[in-house]
Amino acid sequence: MSDLVWYIPLALLLLLLCVLVRGHSYRTFPCFFAYVAFGVAADSTRLVTQSHPKPYFWIYWITDAGYALLGAVALQEVLRKVLRGVRGMWWARLIFPAILAAGVVLSFWHLHEAPPQVQGRLLLAIVTGEIAVRFAQVLVFAGMVAFVPLFGLRWRQQPLGIAMGFGLYSTVALLITLKLSDFGTRFKFLWGVASLVAYSLAVLIWIWFFSFPQKEEPAPNPEQVAFALDTLNRYLEWLRRMR
Amino acid sequence: MFLAISTWVIVTSGVLALLYILRCACARTPKFNLNDLVHFLYPVDLSLLDSLLDPAADFALRWSLNPRAFRREQRRRMRLYRELLRRMAHNSIILADFGNALFGEDERPACACELEGAVIKVRLYTGFARLRLRLWLLLSLDALGVVPTPQLANLRKAADLDGRKAYDELKIAAAAAFARLQPAELDALTRNL
Repeated sequence: MSDLVWYIPLALLLLLLCVLVRGHSYRTFPCFFAYVAFGVAADSTRLVTQSHPKPYFWIYWITDAGYALLGAVALQEVLRKVLRGVRGMWWARLIFPAILAAGVVLSFWHLHEAPPQVQGRLLLAIVTGEIAVRFAQVLVFAGMVAFVPLFGLRWRQQPLGIAMGFGLYSTVALLITLKLSDFGTRFKFLWGVASLVAYSLAVLIWIWFFSFPQKEEPAPNPEQVAFALDTLNRYLEWLRRMR
Repeated sequence: MFLAISTWVIVTSGVLALLYILRCACARTPKFNLNDLVHFLYPVDLSLLDSLLDPAADFALRWSLNPRAFRREQRRRMRLYRELLRRMAHNSIILADFGNALFGEDERPACACELEGAVIKVRLYTGFARLRLRLWLLLSLDALGVVPTPQLANLRKAADLDGRKAYDELKIAAAAAFARLQPAELDALTRNL
């Protein structure tokens, strides 16, 4: 029974994949869809190779790198959706690179202060990249939540939901990373459970946000808007004259 | 130590963001009456706004007044423009709140998305412009003769956004989004914005 608990995230990811396919969300969020599909494939592969230590070792780390890379790409997709109104501004294009750069700097700093206990440069690079993406995910999530009161954005929209799932898991993951280096490996099992619960909650959040259809009609072109406004003004003028 | 502080700040911001979303999820959305929208808006005198941002007006004042009088007059105009910016920012948030209440969460029409985009642009412009004005008024470097008194016309653009154009787009988006208002209210809406 206790072993089955570790496969809850895979089951939830499968459910999320079905929800995304049913809602045709692969059209609106192709990168996030790719992340979820990759997650299902990666977790299934890990499950299959679990009893073979050497292949499992490489598959674990390669899929971990895949998770970090696709997580970053999904994040960029989310930011692009939210900032579509200011896409033409030169500074809007710098936001994601700046956040990612901040994550990389913090990750390298963390690497210097508390080196992770992994062997080999490749694994070190994967762990460093993972921590950098975690920092970026928390920063993006916190920034997007700040948009809600500052710009009157709706909180219940899919880009924010995606950021929220990543933000929740990354916050817990960063906390685990901090505390593991402080307390060592004595609480490894507890941190494993915390990580599992956090990821499951993240997937549940994604399932909830994508369960509600959120269609947005394509924006009309400026000529259509100007024509509609002109018609409206003529209508108002006509009504005034009638009184 | 600085790394630990930075990491804890980021983790705390993540936790606070989660708590805020939880609060939003649990809070009941206030029921806005669309006919009350006009009463929440502050009138923005666009002709005054244009005259404050007019570079010719800045130039004429600089030539006709001595430096001390020009500085005094320019600070008065800055305070006026700061008030206009405050009203523009307030109106944009009110329109966003009413828009979110009117259109709900699902199947949003294009006019709702246009309104959301226009609100973001106006909030960004007013935020950056108010920051610059606050610095100009606070630091007063021109009093020491270190720098010339700033031109208000320089505030036409902030964060690469044209403020007047952004506010006009907000008016158009609001008129389109709230077209279901009674004609008298719609007229009042466009006049008050």
